[in-house]
Amino acid sequence: MISGRGHTPFAPRPLAAAGGTDTAAAKPQPAPPSSGADIFNKTAGRDLLLLGLAAIAGFVLLMAVLAWASEATGGASNDALDPVTGTVTVALSTEPPQLDSTRATDMVSGQVLGHTMEGLLRYDQFNRIVPGVAERWEIDSERAVFHLRADARWSEGSPVTAHDFAFAWRTALDPATASEYAFILYSIKNARAANIGELPLDAVGIRIPDDRTLVVELERPTAYFDKLMAFPTFFPIKESFYQATDGRYGADAEELLYNGPFAITRWVHGASLRMERNPHYWDQDRIRIQAIDHAYITSDINAVINLYKDGKIAMAGLSAETLEDALDRRWNLHRFVDGSVFYIGLNHRPERVTSNLNLRKAMQLVTDSAELVYKVIKLPGNLPGESLFPVWLKGVNGYFRQEYPAPRPVIDIDRAREHLARAKEELGYDEMPPLIFLTGDNPASNKQSEYFQEVYKSRLGLEVKIDRQIFKQRLAKMTAGDYDMVLAGWGPDYADPLTFGDLFASWNQNNRGRYANPVLDEWVAVAQSSLDPEERMQAFAAIQRILHDDVVILMNYERGSVYVRDPRLQGVVRRAVGTDPDFTNAWIEG
Amino acid sequence: MAEAALSFERVSVSRDVETISRPSLSYWQDAWVRLKANTRALVSLYIVIALGVFTLAGPLVWQVDPSAQDLDQISVAPGTDRAAVIVPRYQPWSGATARVEGPALQAQEMTAPTVSVDIVGEPTTQAVRIQWDAVPGASGYRVYRNIADPAPDDHLGLPLADILTADRVSFEDRLDLKPRYYFYSVVALDRNSMPAPVYNTVATVPTRVITAEEAVARGLADTPDALRLGDTVHLALHPFGTDYLGRDMLARLMHGARVSLFIGIVAPFVYVLIGILYGSAAGFAGGRTDQILMRFADFVVALPFLLFMILFRILFGIEGGDSGILPMMIAMAILAWPAAARLVRGQILQIREEGYVSASRLLGAKTNYLVLRHMIPNTMGVILVTLTFAVPSAIFTEAFLSFIGMGVAPPTPSWGSMCNEGIKTMLTHPHELVFPAVFISITVLAFNLLGDGLRDALDARMRSRE
Repeated sequence: MISGRGHTPFAPRPLAAAGGTDTAAAKPQPAPPSSGADIFNKTAGRDLLLLGLAAIAGFVLLMAVLAWASEATGGASNDALDPVTGTVTVALSTEPPQLDSTRATDMVSGQVLGHTMEGLLRYDQFNRIVPGVAERWEIDSERAVFHLRADARWSEGSPVTAHDFAFAWRTALDPATASEYAFILYSIKNARAANIGELPLDAVGIRIPDDRTLVVELERPTAYFDKLMAFPTFFPIKESFYQATDGRYGADAEELLYNGPFAITRWVHGASLRMERNPHYWDQDRIRIQAIDHAYITSDINAVINLYKDGKIAMAGLSAETLEDALDRRWNLHRFVDGSVFYIGLNHRPERVTSNLNLRKAMQLVTDSAELVYKVIKLPGNLPGESLFPVWLKGVNGYFRQEYPAPRPVIDIDRAREHLARAKEELGYDEMPPLIFLTGDNPASNKQSEYFQEVYKSRLGLEVKIDRQIFKQRLAKMTAGDYDMVLAGWGPDYADPLTFGDLFASWNQNNRGRYANPVLDEWVAVAQSSLDPEERMQAFAAIQRILHDDVVILMNYERGSVYVRDPRLQGVVRRAVGTDPDFTNAWIEG
Repeated sequence: MAEAALSFERVSVSRDVETISRPSLSYWQDAWVRLKANTRALVSLYIVIALGVFTLAGPLVWQVDPSAQDLDQISVAPGTDRAAVIVPRYQPWSGATARVEGPALQAQEMTAPTVSVDIVGEPTTQAVRIQWDAVPGASGYRVYRNIADPAPDDHLGLPLADILTADRVSFEDRLDLKPRYYFYSVVALDRNSMPAPVYNTVATVPTRVITAEEAVARGLADTPDALRLGDTVHLALHPFGTDYLGRDMLARLMHGARVSLFIGIVAPFVYVLIGILYGSAAGFAGGRTDQILMRFADFVVALPFLLFMILFRILFGIEGGDSGILPMMIAMAILAWPAAARLVRGQILQIREEGYVSASRLLGAKTNYLVLRHMIPNTMGVILVTLTFAVPSAIFTEAFLSFIGMGVAPPTPSWGSMCNEGIKTMLTHPHELVFPAVFISITVLAFNLLGDGLRDALDARMRSRE
């Protein structure tokens, strides 16, 4: 290209073209460079075209191959349910940390253990307590006697004996095990003392007159002792096997011995967990499917729904955002109450502003759980929270909440502001300091905490700071008391109101707001040791009243969930207390 | 010589040859002329200016609180109908009970053909109340709601509730009601609380309603007395729709832009400036100093950004719930400069050896003059490219950190956090994702094109070339 100073101002031309023509014009002789450039341009154009076509063709071919591959591998609806082999494929929300029943705390471990193990008693499909390893039992105010069935077997063929239960329970109580659920055994004589190291483990009130009889001495009369037997901490462990695993019991499929309807045959950590029928299980007639394949482990609700759409799994939970899509697809929707109760826990430590009753009252008077459930959460099954005791708990004859209704929630902003003014006066503030609101880091708690932040700001003028933390960190901060309010929840361990009722007793480790009220403690003691249902329910009603009047917590909701299930899969039991979901009674139709 | 001189006529010197036909342009004037000739860059410049106006002047015009929650209009798309009828406050409904005769039966023993279901009162978005006649032998009822007719394949839809007492024959639905068709079905449950093949469906369209108190609280009227029952009001206008908590998207986009653009522009300017100073010092000094300085830059590149971000949070005593903008800026400024420093240093090293620099030096130019006159203008292109790539990456970093909870504290919005929230409802309410995403895309594209144009315009070597 010529770029002389004189030229360009007068002859501005497109640069590439100018170069070519100038050269050609300046030189009279045949000019190979110019035609060369043309040829080059032409071939370049052709090459580019060919390359482009090749790229498109390659892309189309790749798509075709991928489509064919996905046809070949998936697409068939037998992925989710295989009637021939009797396999049910589902997804697991998280990986069980380990499956040692003495140390398990999470719901997923409970779900897997509920299929692979069996306690002395278990829940049937109508949530009634029925015989498990024990064929008969007697419980009175001093002791419980369990008579074990002769045909209960471990997955290697040896019989399940009373010794296996005694060993498991003592292991859970052993201070060296540091089981977080050891407290659930405290109704056994000397269990608490042994757990805190004051007495040797031998002193725990468990006796084994013979291999098939287990006698448990009770610390105090325990009306709900039979219901405890279905809880994972009470599952048996064979001592010789436990010792042989050398501290790795429950860490892997081979490091476990099973006495339940299923046994884990393949456990790929973080990826999948497959259970197959245990041929040594005593009640073979009850089990109708051959295998449960947890082929996916993911907590991403959209991923799970897509797996269901593709026919890879037989069950999937839905979120409020996906409900409309599910209705459009005319999916088979189900709803169940998972038993947990959610609330805003308040910090009652005296150095915190939330220890002021007037402030708590003001907050209670603007906390509209109905608005939260119907407009913000929007998922059916969730009920507006009115009481720590959920609606499904049984009372004396019917449901507890029908016999002893919870105090009606009142929303009154004017009264709330009066209480707030009094609180400011008592605390000596002109302007309340910001409240620290501890929450989890999942979408649901983000949404709820932001909703509450605006509620307290617009209705009371309270500044709320949201502190998002992962579960462990949140628990650590709760234990340290490093918060004013916390989004918290509690799920039941056994089907008795006491699983909720003792939560705010001053000695309970899970009472992380350190609420201390001797009157409430007294009622908890009554509920723990009384055998008269009427008296116990009155105690729970009194606790319910105190929780409301003293504003120990701000009720949010009782959690429910909506899920879709392949209509061919029948007999799956969803329940609030116990193994959930429970496939042991399931069958595949057609 | 004199003769010779006489034999020639003195040619009159034509001043015209020497006259500069066009006024002399300064460096910046020239750049502006060339930028104006670049349409893409000019349009981008206007977009950037418009974004500035949107961010700074927007909230003065559109005075809506970005954290105010309009719970009557959650996740509404732009242009949704807003008419609502004034009704009295919600009163709890005691419902209806019926006398139950006979024990609960098994499903196959139940003889009633259907359940006769009725809507009670006026169905509104406040509540839809349904009631039915007791079914002999039922132990309870299950209520379903669908948005399409269940008839063709008995697809009842969403199970709303289980009523596990036989004598209760009513249900009140308050769950996320919208003015659209709903099909309520009631199924009788047998002795084992299992659904029996006894059900019926009733269809209804609730009217959108609001109470006078709510209308006042939302700023739709001055006093509750100004509104009479049955009046129609229009709910607050949301030109860009609302998000998952009924917050105005337009106001949130404006306030979010403050955070996103602030981080996106200020942070890169700071660290590119540091990079220029550091890089030109290293390049100009050369030799051993250069080696030491650049090895230190390599060391800084190896430092993990996230870790420093967390350390700064702790250093500043920032607890959860406080905004993490300041530590984010400082971490960026401290850790992101080496890229710019490397580029500038390379450029300076190259320019230092150029002939015109040596000539200038020979003519006695001082270091200041060399740097300001020759070095900086010649590196401007590289600097601007770095800057234009730094702006979008800083916006994205902010978005990412807001997502993992280390950025802005709720309820302060930023475009990144709005995207992250919008993606959850992408399929049902696409506008919650589309608007912030479009804003981020346009901003990033505008900055890139503007930077491209600026590089061409400011490049000293392109000067006076057409």
